Amino acid sequence: MVGIGDKLLGYATNPDVRNRGASGGLVTAVLAAALEKGMVEGVVVLKRIDEYEAIPVITDDVQEVLASGGSMHAVPVNLTKHAVGRKIAMPGKPCDVRGVIEQAKRNGVDLENTYIVGLNCGGSMHPVVTREMLIRMYEIDPEDVVGEEIEKGKLIFKTKDGEEKAISIDELEEAGYGRRENCRYCTIKIPTNADLACGNWGVIGELAGSATFCEVMNEKGKRLLDNAIEAGFIEVQPADEKSIAIRNKVNSAMLKLGDEWKGRLLTEIHDQERLTYYIEQFADCIDCGACREVCPVCTCGEDSKCTMFHSLADNYKMSMYHMVRLLHLSDSCIGCGQCSDICPVDIPVTTIFRRFADPAQKKRDYSPGMDLQRPPFLELMLK
Amino acid sequence: MAGTEWEPKIVAFCCNWCSYGGADTAGMGRFQQPSSLRIIRVMCSGRIDPMHVFNAFLEGADAVLVTGCHLGDCHYVNGNYKAQVRYQFLEEMVRELGLEPERLQLNWISASEGEKFANFIRDVTAQIKQLGPSPLKPEGVN
Repeated sequence: MVGIGDKLLGYATNPDVRNRGASGGLVTAVLAAALEKGMVEGVVVLKRIDEYEAIPVITDDVQEVLASGGSMHAVPVNLTKHAVGRKIAMPGKPCDVRGVIEQAKRNGVDLENTYIVGLNCGGSMHPVVTREMLIRMYEIDPEDVVGEEIEKGKLIFKTKDGEEKAISIDELEEAGYGRRENCRYCTIKIPTNADLACGNWGVIGELAGSATFCEVMNEKGKRLLDNAIEAGFIEVQPADEKSIAIRNKVNSAMLKLGDEWKGRLLTEIHDQERLTYYIEQFADCIDCGACREVCPVCTCGEDSKCTMFHSLADNYKMSMYHMVRLLHLSDSCIGCGQCSDICPVDIPVTTIFRRFADPAQKKRDYSPGMDLQRPPFLELMLK
Repeated sequence: MAGTEWEPKIVAFCCNWCSYGGADTAGMGRFQQPSSLRIIRVMCSGRIDPMHVFNAFLEGADAVLVTGCHLGDCHYVNGNYKAQVRYQFLEEMVRELGLEPERLQLNWISASEGEKFANFIRDVTAQIKQLGPSPLKPEGVN
């Protein structure tokens, strides 16, 4: 039996799952056990498209869950739609989890029967940008890549001919490649808002690479882990002081780097030039509504206030559509970056939204999507 | 109209019970006030969505005023508290957008405060005349 708040090191008992998993296959085994024992009726797993991309799909087959282990690239997505009305378990990066929790606060989904296993995340890469980076910076054909690794701040790609090429991540990001912009200044690297917070930070010594550091965050996380241990899918042991210290050290180092990037990406614009900047950026908008469609925290549904202003007649000087969205999302924007990714005319939507949301959220000391207790801040202030 | 001074367009949201009455009293008491004002009557200041304010700016308003009953006097118990919460948030948004803070103002005016209403409008009009037309005003609208 594990307790809430326990910090554990664990791995899958099945050697095949353990080897395939990026760090011990704990998450895969926990999800499989939940499905096997009937705790949930489906599990969200990643389906690999190619080296650079994977999409989440829902499955009720234990073997498929076990076979899905391993590290894959997936940019954040709106996971809530999988959870509506179903009993499921899903893995998620901190931003994925925050999106689901913000939806739950607004009654978009009921989390009573949904189990979320959080995964540490230092940032994700956009598939298209990564391909471009391979051609320009690495001078490798993207189709030839068979594996990749991050070691000592360098991103290493392996080709099918057995060659390896390493370039430091700082250098890549300096050139505009590497992690997505919003990931560079993201402030949540360890998903303490999920039911279980898992990752390989803090796994050292002989267990390195074959065990997962796992923190039990709440009652649901405890149930998940207990179930997996009882079913014999995983083995756990308490993490020692050193592991915990290293995990915290990695986290704070990442956050410090994030602060630097934030200063560089969200540079102060002078009062007089700000309005011109926003007008110019939004002038490209073609009112496709894609940024609303992908937004993990938007709960309006089909008929929303913002899409009522798609007519050109409403957008004389500036897009009213975006102004309404700014008002709606400044309390809940989690900065996942999907709006920028999807924008067909490359408006830096996330950066603009963060410029509005950041000061507003900071002023009210509100971090969206971190817990279910705190209501959205406009509601809170009234009481 | 060549030669005449530019007159700003000011949109004021007035609540039915207090500030709209205040505007009435200002007229009845014959307090001089500029003709720059366009009043939109709402039943309560709590009805005002921040979206209405942004839309007014995009439609060519040089300033938007949010007015209502004094705190505690709301005819719908706490409508003006809701307006206040939204206003504080809206103020931050407008500032971040780069509009001058004078273009959005909040004032509590009761039905008997006709003179206060007239003075308020006069002050705002003077401020906006100094600032000039709103940068969000569409072309062709004066």
